[in-house]
Amino acid sequence: MSKLGVFDIAVRYGKVPAVNDLTLHVDEGERVFVSGPNGAGKSSLLKAISGAAATSHGRIELDGDLLTGRPPEAIARLGISMVPEGRDIFGSLTVEENLRVGTGLRRDAEAVEEDIAEIYANFPILGERRAAAAGALSGGQQQMLAIGRALMTNPKLIMVDEPSLGLAPKIVDQVYDTLCTLQEDRGLTLLIVEQSSLRAARVGGRMVLMRGGRIVGEGNAADMVDRDALAAAYFGQSPEKTETAT
Amino acid sequence: MSNLAQLFFDAASLGGLYAMAALGIALIFGVMKLVNFAHGEYIAFCVFALIVPSTDAVAVMFLGKAPALILIPVILGLGAAIAVASEYVVFRHLRKADPVAMMIASFALGFVIRNALLATYGGRPKAVSLWPGLNTPVDIAGASVPLLQLIVILSTLLVVTGLALLLKKSRIGLEMRAAAENFTMARLLGVRANRVITGAFALSGALAAAVALIMVTQTGVADVRMGGQIMLVAFIATVLGGLGSLPGAVAAGFLVGIVSVVLQAWLPLEARPFRDAFLYTLVIVCLLVRPQGLFVPASAKPRV
Amino acid sequence: MRSQHATNRLASYSTPLILAVLLVGLVVLVAVFGDRSLARTAAETLVRVTLVVSLWIFVGNSGVISFGHAGYMAIGAYCSAWLTLKPQSKALFLPDLPEWLMQAQWHVLPAAIAGGLLAAFIALLSGAAILRLSGIAASIATFAFLAIVNTVYSNWEGVTGATSSVVGLPRYVDHWVALGWAVAAIVAANVYANSASGLALRATREDEVAARASGINMYRHRLLSLVISGFFTGVSGALLGHSIGVLNPDSFYLGITFISLAMLVIGGIGSLSGAVVGVLLLSVLIELLVRAEQGISINETQLALPSGSQEILIGIAMIVVLIVRPNGLTAGKEFKLKPQWLRQSRLVGAKSTN
Repeated sequence: MSKLGVFDIAVRYGKVPAVNDLTLHVDEGERVFVSGPNGAGKSSLLKAISGAAATSHGRIELDGDLLTGRPPEAIARLGISMVPEGRDIFGSLTVEENLRVGTGLRRDAEAVEEDIAEIYANFPILGERRAAAAGALSGGQQQMLAIGRALMTNPKLIMVDEPSLGLAPKIVDQVYDTLCTLQEDRGLTLLIVEQSSLRAARVGGRMVLMRGGRIVGEGNAADMVDRDALAAAYFGQSPEKTETAT
Repeated sequence: MSNLAQLFFDAASLGGLYAMAALGIALIFGVMKLVNFAHGEYIAFCVFALIVPSTDAVAVMFLGKAPALILIPVILGLGAAIAVASEYVVFRHLRKADPVAMMIASFALGFVIRNALLATYGGRPKAVSLWPGLNTPVDIAGASVPLLQLIVILSTLLVVTGLALLLKKSRIGLEMRAAAENFTMARLLGVRANRVITGAFALSGALAAAVALIMVTQTGVADVRMGGQIMLVAFIATVLGGLGSLPGAVAAGFLVGIVSVVLQAWLPLEARPFRDAFLYTLVIVCLLVRPQGLFVPASAKPRV
Repeated sequence: MRSQHATNRLASYSTPLILAVLLVGLVVLVAVFGDRSLARTAAETLVRVTLVVSLWIFVGNSGVISFGHAGYMAIGAYCSAWLTLKPQSKALFLPDLPEWLMQAQWHVLPAAIAGGLLAAFIALLSGAAILRLSGIAASIATFAFLAIVNTVYSNWEGVTGATSSVVGLPRYVDHWVALGWAVAAIVAANVYANSASGLALRATREDEVAARASGINMYRHRLLSLVISGFFTGVSGALLGHSIGVLNPDSFYLGITFISLAMLVIGGIGSLSGAVVGVLLLSVLIELLVRAEQGISINETQLALPSGSQEILIGIAMIVVLIVRPNGLTAGKEFKLKPQWLRQSRLVGAKSTN
């Protein structure tokens, strides 16, 4: 059984559909990139899984537990954590307080302290500025904080929405290095929205291409950089069609 | 000199009262963007809980008979209870509504509570003597200060520091501050929406009860209208302090209290009845200059 | 052939026609079949229509809730009283009025218009300050404005009579006069809502930031709508004074603020029809509740609702509507002729001329 199962879901904002007939499975420990043009429904997919957006059709399961219809806090408790687009750091809280917001659902006080120590070890700058207002951090530091914060709920699955948005390429490398190390250390499952398929290919993993709220292509990220598949997603032909055409 | 000291104590105690009321409004606004027009009626409700329900002119003590050690926690609990109940009955069903709809609903709720009180207790103000001993003056720095004023100032400091500690040090406080900044993000991190909102309403209601106790001791009157006036001042303080900012609400509450006392002292006698008009006009002028509030950095965008 | 757009436009102008026909119909019914007390109820209801429609001109188009309109009402009502009261009674009750006002003895119609104009002027001044604030903060400031007006009028002994009532206003407002003003307010509301300014303002209602970004000068449109709204609100105040004959600052405070907002919300803030429907519905409900409070005898047992239950029940109704039907009973829709009908009739007309 897959870790995360998304079965035929639809998300709509008013009458505008954002996600349609979407089915997706993610296995335990897997790293899956969701790519595609703007407005493809990538963020809506993550919001639906996290409970921040309601689905109008279909169901979502984690380890066989039904997530559909549960409020976001309940889904967080089942082991899904989110690093949202734009990071959504609590700017008026200190760095350490940001980390602690997500620990309310945990009963293992010692492990919480160990996790915080580990995050500070991984991101020394966060440790140095633990008492500073998080709003004063740079964009890259905020991204690190958002990842650290997501870890603090002790999740099985972390969803990251556009981690490279607004960051310098060098920082993006760093962010991905960290994510991959964490995944190995903790046996995490990762679901990442990444516009740049080149980046996804370099990091490695499975890639899912979305367009118009649907999945239009799927495969190994390295193979998917193949121009035809990308063109298909961006310019509107389905991958099968391009294959038969060539 | 003694006049100045007198002015200081008046300003500090009135400011403290306003600050407490403003905190009650700002807490709820911070967590769920609700401008709670029922807050004044929570105050009136707590005042009337002290006396036996009847439409007679003279009030007979009911809860008010209890010794302070029991009375204070009971009234604070009662304030918390009515606030939490109103969340449960009304506002919970409006979570997804826009702030304007919630605001109108709170206005309607306040009107319902107000008229329920009117129907039970009648419209005439009643004389209530709760802890009359506290109005005995004490000489400090050449000013004769009623003991109560000192208690008000002390209890304000106590309440404000207590609340600050609670928000800063406790788990629920951390969750409230996170929720006030970005509710959805807090929930994505497992913060329970209901717990935070219920907590905010309970605190807000308890603050309303504290205000009620102080007002009734100071004025010796139980009047359905007493909640409305202080609520308006509290609203103004929360807007002045920057909507959603708790320290801003406290500071602006004190400021409004001080200005109010100063106006009372300096306005010519014939203009004194218009004090509140001057006060509110000043406030509107202040907001013209700084629409985002006095105690918010000018760079911050208005949050509503 | 008329374009789709023009037909739609014509259809939106049919709204005031339908509403006016509805009101005229009601008044005719009352005039033919009703007794005196029903006629008075009708007049009161129509004054409320004027008030709530005026309130809608601002609130419905801007989306900013105003708690301050009872203040504009008071301003209009007292202004009309100053102009129409007999000089002798003014000398007695309002000794501090300036000489020219003391001697003034205007006809009631120009006095009502003057009341409206003064209210509009004050709306311009207060709005210029208050409307610089964003939505919720502006609402709170309107509440402060209401308190300012109430404080001034409750204390300005020699000019407003303070808390002792001003009596002896000519009671000329019957159901016909009230009908005239109600229809005038409805027409003005519709014309404004369909004007460039009204349309722009409604675009800002959903999203202030987006509207600002698209270059709409929200401030100016809000101010214009508040001034028009202030005028008719002032007139409605004058009408109220001249229908009951007595003025008191507290009749223009929280009670009327609540009831007018309740009518607007229950009918539906989003549409002019909603405003009118809300008034009619709640007025009937209020009338029934007032009667119920006075008591009904059934089989020699006297049943009466406790006093105050009227306000409580209306408050509860308002909350229930907000929860169950947040957009009010009309849900933002207008009564209007269907564009198809208009096109059809046009076709028929065209054929007959051939």
